[in-house]
Amino acid sequence: MNLMPSRSELKVEAAPVANPAIPMIEIDHVSQVFQTSSHQDHLALSDISLTINDGAFVSILGPSGCGKSTLLYIVGGFVNPTQGVARMKGSPITGPGPDRGPVFQEFALFPWKSVLGNVMYGPRQQGVKAAEAEAQGRALIEMVGLKGFEHFYPKELSGGMKQRVALARTLAYHPEVLLMDEPFGALDAHTRTRLQNDLLNIWERDRKTVLFVTHSVDEAVFLSDRVVMMSRSPGRIKQIIDIDLPRPRRRTELLLDPRYQKYVVDIERMFDDAGDAELQP
Amino acid sequence: MTLRALIARLAPFLACLGLLAVWQVAALVLNNDSFPTALDSIRAIPSILGDKESLVNILASLRRMAVGFAVAVVVSIPLGLIMGRSRGVASFFNPLLMVIYPVPKAALMPIIMLWLGVGDLSKTLVIFLGVSLPVIYHSFEGAKAVEEKMLWSGAAMGLSALERLIRVVLPAALPDILTGCRTGLVLALITMVTSEMIARQSGAGNILFNALDMGQYDTVYAMIIIVGAMGICLDAAFERMRERLVRWSEPQFDIPLSFS
Repeated sequence: MNLMPSRSELKVEAAPVANPAIPMIEIDHVSQVFQTSSHQDHLALSDISLTINDGAFVSILGPSGCGKSTLLYIVGGFVNPTQGVARMKGSPITGPGPDRGPVFQEFALFPWKSVLGNVMYGPRQQGVKAAEAEAQGRALIEMVGLKGFEHFYPKELSGGMKQRVALARTLAYHPEVLLMDEPFGALDAHTRTRLQNDLLNIWERDRKTVLFVTHSVDEAVFLSDRVVMMSRSPGRIKQIIDIDLPRPRRRTELLLDPRYQKYVVDIERMFDDAGDAELQP
Repeated sequence: MTLRALIARLAPFLACLGLLAVWQVAALVLNNDSFPTALDSIRAIPSILGDKESLVNILASLRRMAVGFAVAVVVSIPLGLIMGRSRGVASFFNPLLMVIYPVPKAALMPIIMLWLGVGDLSKTLVIFLGVSLPVIYHSFEGAKAVEEKMLWSGAAMGLSALERLIRVVLPAALPDILTGCRTGLVLALITMVTSEMIARQSGAGNILFNALDMGQYDTVYAMIIIVGAMGICLDAAFERMRERLVRWSEPQFDIPLSFS
């Protein structure tokens, strides 16, 4: 599967920002308190502020329990922050909407729908005609490398294939922001690598804004323009690192690139110093 | 292999034949007036089904059963689903259902008869009560088990809370709901016969017990066969429909899982 677009194609398709002064996503002094089972307050997120620009690929990296997924759910509108506000293009986020498309680690496909049915679901909901939704759906399924599996049910697919369907299903309704919650966390190393490559290839076509939650340093550096490092108890932003590596990125080339290696080592050291031992290399 | 498959397919019929054979032999050995042979009982079936009055009675039973079952399903599925998705609704209804659940519905029949008489309404109501609880319970469990992320995915596509209930929770919980309905269907038949035993006025249960009172034992056994056959046919038909509707949830091993 070769999804690499040519360089010129990238330039043509790079969407202009409507108003560059307003960032795509703005997280403004957000805190989140959860009640534990023993009725105690647990501060999951403490005073998080973060700005994500249009077209940026931003990873949130941290050990488990640092609240990174919660932060993504707040941007998705699935969880309301206890304090502070998240904004999308300047307006406060009050609930989920098709402008922000989630991709979950658990895939969350509709098991009673075929691959094609899943991918067509969002567009159909938005009133796209069946024939048109199907044509677009088939194209997307081909793009994620699942041509020939259109009429399979999720039950019949492997984990990697399910996540490809989930990605296609979300891309189908053209969200402006992709919210990816450890999407490759449940997959084996080989499948994971392939999906990372494919995701980058797809992303490099239209450069959607991506918020990508992960606990893998490697994955964050490979994919992102910026890595937001978080620490836990309470969840805070530890540091933000810009990843200045050329695109399109090729995994095999990048692994040999000393700049890439330095980013990975630096980030791992920073987590080591803080004693966040659970972080995966 | 094909012979094996054939035997597997025919197994239920073979089981029926086996039971009838055992019955036949036992009846011949015991040679008791109140225990007619299987053949005698089967011979009595055409005369029951050929009798207009009996047929009207049996059809009336089936009508009550269908109405009771249908109303129960229509009421119970939404209630169960809402209970499964709303803690408040669940904590309101759960204690109530916990009290009603273990009470044999037929035991309520005398009270219902006092209030509503011995007609169709009482009998249909008992059937309704018998069917609702398993359907509510299974719908509730099914709705509770729906992955939150699946609902979030629906919400992100712009589905409202009601749309999510109908278009995500309902299909996702369908395998559980249909399990409940299958139990409900058998219970409908049971409560149907029981209610007619208690409120003796019309119906299949009434024919059965009238025949017993009059010592027409072959008719008694023939009625048992008829009611049993009705149950088996209804269950088989339902199971067919169920398989068709939830094929997506059954594991399928014959499809290659390889990719690339």
